[in-house]
Amino acid sequence: MNLTDEQKEQGRRNFLKALAGTPALAALGAAAAMQGPVKGGPVKAAVIGTGGMGRGLIAQCQKDLIDLVALCDINPKRRRAVTEMLIKNGRAQPKEYEDWREMLQKEDLEAVIIATPLWSHAEIAVGCLDAGKHVLCEKMIAKNEADCHRMIDAMRRNKRILEIGYQRYYNPVYQASYNNIVKQGLIGDVYFARLVWHRNANWRRKEDPPTPDFDPSKWGYPDWEHLVNWRLYKQYSEGLTAELGSHLITATNWFFEAAPVAAYATGSIARYNDGREVFDHVYATLEYPGGRAATFSSIESNAFEDHYEMFLGTKGTLILQNEVEVYLFYEGEAATTKVEVSRQADAPVADTSATRPADAQGRTVNAATTEQVDRNISYRNEIAEFCASVRTGRPVRCGPEKAMQSARAVFTANRAAEKGQRLALTEA
Amino acid sequence: MNNHTRLSNSQQIALIALRTLIGWHFLYEGYYKFALPGWSADGTRLSAWSSAGYLKAATGPLAVLFRRMPDAGWTTFLDGTVKISLALIGISLMLGLFTRLGCWGALLLLVLFYLLMIPLGGTQQPGSEGAYLVVNKTLIEAAAVAALLAFNTGAIAGLDLLFANRKERLAAKLRTDTAN
Repeated sequence: MNLTDEQKEQGRRNFLKALAGTPALAALGAAAAMQGPVKGGPVKAAVIGTGGMGRGLIAQCQKDLIDLVALCDINPKRRRAVTEMLIKNGRAQPKEYEDWREMLQKEDLEAVIIATPLWSHAEIAVGCLDAGKHVLCEKMIAKNEADCHRMIDAMRRNKRILEIGYQRYYNPVYQASYNNIVKQGLIGDVYFARLVWHRNANWRRKEDPPTPDFDPSKWGYPDWEHLVNWRLYKQYSEGLTAELGSHLITATNWFFEAAPVAAYATGSIARYNDGREVFDHVYATLEYPGGRAATFSSIESNAFEDHYEMFLGTKGTLILQNEVEVYLFYEGEAATTKVEVSRQADAPVADTSATRPADAQGRTVNAATTEQVDRNISYRNEIAEFCASVRTGRPVRCGPEKAMQSARAVFTANRAAEKGQRLALTEA
Repeated sequence: MNNHTRLSNSQQIALIALRTLIGWHFLYEGYYKFALPGWSADGTRLSAWSSAGYLKAATGPLAVLFRRMPDAGWTTFLDGTVKISLALIGISLMLGLFTRLGCWGALLLLVLFYLLMIPLGGTQQPGSEGAYLVVNKTLIEAAAVAALLAFNTGAIAGLDLLFANRKERLAAKLRTDTAN
């Protein structure tokens, strides 16, 4: 074929004209695939552990986000109670399993929520991750540092999401306090935080076994008492510092943007010398970089202060009380500014019900849109964002790396209390 | 000689750019409706799309007719038709394939959408980014599609040219065969 240069040029022009819209279609199509909606309905999930925490999380699962297809618990009475709750709330009846391994084999799941005793987190989470499931695991991440690493390795190996359930990260009160008060410098430089979780009650729980012949030994508990009160025994629990303190320490790590470097601690079984192995009174001091520190106390003999995180800065003091209220005291002022939270924008913002003008960047005043924050919002947001991460790949707010930082502080504080000395946090 | 040969290059480019942009608007609207229910990139749950809400909220001269459609069980049919039509029209306009048909389809849909909710209030409505009186962006887009039809942009650029060239070659061959 002999084409003249003119014919060749004409041919090229004709070709390009014929394909005029194709490059735009390809480019915009690629953009749509990346930025457009991600197809997918509710996340198919199961819950392992239907005790108090598991039941609480299940109650906050929204059916258009998460489809609870199965429940697993070694206690059939608890499983049944949750199933009845779901049916009563108009949800589909989930399948019930005693053994989580059997559940993973038989059910087509995308994700698993783990709310079992601390000592079992690593084994179950690694099993689920290795089975290709995304995991939302209740706090604390694991019973020891080696287990934390096992969970992180499994997450990375399987390229799955592992989120640890520190609900404060999903609490509008904490988000607003961090973004609009601490980060904006309203309380100045913070060198000290006081962390308190005080109760006036026995941690011991009373519950009858599901059947008279129920045998918990095959699940690693010598008797029913050790199963129902696992929090009181060192084989299964890291005590008050883990179950209560790790929440407060995680929030402090977040607000300090750092992790502790050393811990002093002491404690005692002061009030309830009933055979338990973990302290019922714990006092710890955590050292942070930059000469900063946090003290933590958890007692079971007085509930006057309940629980709070208090950040004492050079310009003011911020108190987050019971996860739902925030108070801001300016240095040198007698008046208190109560801080409320508004959802006026994409993210929660702090809203002062003013004893002084809201004059700082990031704060807004619009009392009309202030909404009451209830503690369940944190759990609801936590599960919703976990589902969103499963569907869209968006990073979770509290992955295992962050959770491990507070866990290491807990392990170190507990060992420091046992040894009666200051211990540095070192890599295992 | 085709009409488009009287247009300057910049006029031809402007018309094809307009057609491509309108085509993308239609295609993405169709794609988006197909992709629902789903999740936004920032993790927000997005409900399934349905025309029922728009039909129920219809205003204007044909409002009574539109409002009756969901009750008459038309929703599923209309949802599917609208989604497919938007996507096909979008592809047609972007690629310049069956361009006249695509333009007529686009014009029909845009007129229907306009009639569904004619802005007669003159003030900013909830969910709207501006204030409109009689003329809104839907009507302007319809006018732009009418311009594309008038200028027969399929004869300027796009896959329709392949068919046109093939037709011309066949006609030329026929003329040659007849002459012989």
